[in-house]
Amino acid sequence: MELFSFLDIAILVIGFYMAWNIGANDVSNAMGTSVGSGALTMRNAVIIAAILEFSGAFFLGANVTETIQSSLIDTTQLMGDPTTLVIGMCGALLAASLWLQFASYFGLPVSTTHAIIGAMLGFGGLMGGMQGIYWDEVGSIALSWILSPIFSGIVAYFLFSLLQKKILFAMNPTMATRRFLPYLIGVVFGTFTLSLLFNGLGSLSIDFTFPQTLLISLLVTVFATLISLFIVRRTPEPASALATVAHLPHTLISIDKAIKHLRRVRAASDEGSKDEISRLLNEMQVLAKQMREKTDFSARTSEYAVVEKWFGSLQIISACFVAFAHGANDVANAIGPVAVVISTLSHGAVQASSPIPVWLLAFGGVGIVIGLATWGWRVIETIGKKITELTPTRGFCAEFGAALSILIASKLGMPISTTHCLVGAVLGVGMARGIRALNLGTLKDIILSWIITIPASALMSILCYYLLKAIFT
Amino acid sequence: MLTIARLFGKSPFAPLQSHMNKVASCMEKLTKIFEALSHHEREKIERLVADLSSLEHEADLTKNDIRNHLPKSLFMPIDRTHFLEILSLQDSIADMAEDIGITLTLRPLDYLEDFQKDLSFFYSKTMEVFWNAKQIIEEIDELLESSFGGIEAEKVKSLVEETAFKEYESTLLERLLMKKLFSEGDKLPPPSFIHWLKVVEGVGQLAKLSERLANRIRMLLEVT
Repeated sequence: MELFSFLDIAILVIGFYMAWNIGANDVSNAMGTSVGSGALTMRNAVIIAAILEFSGAFFLGANVTETIQSSLIDTTQLMGDPTTLVIGMCGALLAASLWLQFASYFGLPVSTTHAIIGAMLGFGGLMGGMQGIYWDEVGSIALSWILSPIFSGIVAYFLFSLLQKKILFAMNPTMATRRFLPYLIGVVFGTFTLSLLFNGLGSLSIDFTFPQTLLISLLVTVFATLISLFIVRRTPEPASALATVAHLPHTLISIDKAIKHLRRVRAASDEGSKDEISRLLNEMQVLAKQMREKTDFSARTSEYAVVEKWFGSLQIISACFVAFAHGANDVANAIGPVAVVISTLSHGAVQASSPIPVWLLAFGGVGIVIGLATWGWRVIETIGKKITELTPTRGFCAEFGAALSILIASKLGMPISTTHCLVGAVLGVGMARGIRALNLGTLKDIILSWIITIPASALMSILCYYLLKAIFT
Repeated sequence: MLTIARLFGKSPFAPLQSHMNKVASCMEKLTKIFEALSHHEREKIERLVADLSSLEHEADLTKNDIRNHLPKSLFMPIDRTHFLEILSLQDSIADMAEDIGITLTLRPLDYLEDFQKDLSFFYSKTMEVFWNAKQIIEEIDELLESSFGGIEAEKVKSLVEETAFKEYESTLLERLLMKKLFSEGDKLPPPSFIHWLKVVEGVGQLAKLSERLANRIRMLLEVT
């Protein structure tokens, strides 16, 4: 039993280290752009991220943790041999963290999710051979790895296209933003409520029927819209060039159109009215010329800066959702194997599956928060400086797409890579002509490190198992 | 593991604009050369052309630098080929400016007083076309921000139309100038006649290239 209590502490330490790692490296995905664009100060970003990461892990982390705990490998074959299972789990977790350490040293873009899944599969394969692994579940997880970035990309693409149509391509972007923003905020909140509540909130044992969920989301949408409508009304229009410029560009465009139509009329009309129309056309052209001289286009185009400022607040909201979804999905990478060990040790025997203890979810959440506070803020700073390209409008679209995708995956219990979802979403915005330059070469690296990570961490997991076994028995 | 940071490439649009600034400094030099030409200052022309050549060389280096740092895997809101075309049009404007300058130094100049005056007027018209095109390139930043649509695109569109109209005016002037050159050309020795012919053609090319550049940008816009 002394061995068990030692292993109990050991796996908690390694699990904590994994959680720390996740907090240190991956939270920056959510908060980096908001800090970089100046919408959030570093202090506030860290506080907000800490709260949301923790609540994500605590309230929604159980789904994915259960998948890693019991749906990947067949632990029942080790029914009579809890020591092997406990050592194996320690080995898997150790292998995943070693591989992550190794990969980040060499700058490979690996994902913690892939590392831990690979390590679990390695141990499962060692114990039970091909039968030791639930291949159906592994297959659907692999599928979710492919589908989740594609899904977030599609969402981000359409969202950015919508913003283009409604705001960026409008003749008066600031006004369009003021009109459109409240509804957008409402829909954002509604969508997240919907994806959060459907299927119920496991760890709080809150369960709604689908119509109830729909109703609640609708209420949230309306409520958020009303509040933001109120806030937008209260915010005075920035002192723009509206008053000083004699004519607005869109009136000028209208008059150009009128001239075009008059020309058509002249071409179609008969001799009698032709002179009259020509005279009118002449007058119009003189007028248009005078107006053009008085029109200041540049005063208008500086409006895009105002639009970006408005979207800063929306970007903070979407960043919060990413942080929440990230906590919900990635906490499992740290505590999944720990959960196996805890349930085995507490029952003294191998369990097929058992509920995740709430304190363990909190433990993982705290690990992430500490990682964020001790190291993660540096990474946020670096990311924020490097991706100033992702301005609030673009950042909002990308983060919304990614957060939605991660949240849905978390609800379905799919352990996915949050970074890959964000990469997919950024590409989606890029496809809609939103980003100046994207390195598609990075995609190759990501796919390559995917393929390497699974067997590599599986192999390391096996090695770690033998090593630990040699030490402890 | 800064995967996201690595996803963002280095934007080639700022270097494109700085290349255009170098091209513009070639043009400023060429304008000085034409001033010197109207004051018959041969030595000054020689000196200015040497400056122009080195400016053009600098622009060339920038161009090569941009091309070399444009990997196929870079994904931009505009087509890669389109981008390279814009760059090569800018480059050929600088080349053409250098060619005109060098042509002026090839042999001692024989002047036709009346023709001279018309030539500098024609030159100033082509310069208007060029500076319009330059202004359009400066708008690229804002275009990227609005992702090539909306009010900014309308602005660029009207600039392009203005450029095209000025180019048309410069073509008319070129035709008149050519007429004058051919009707009074027998006052000049044959090499000198060909000399001026080349200069006029070169300046006309400047306007045409600038207009083509403007139209290339026009094709990127999301407005009809």
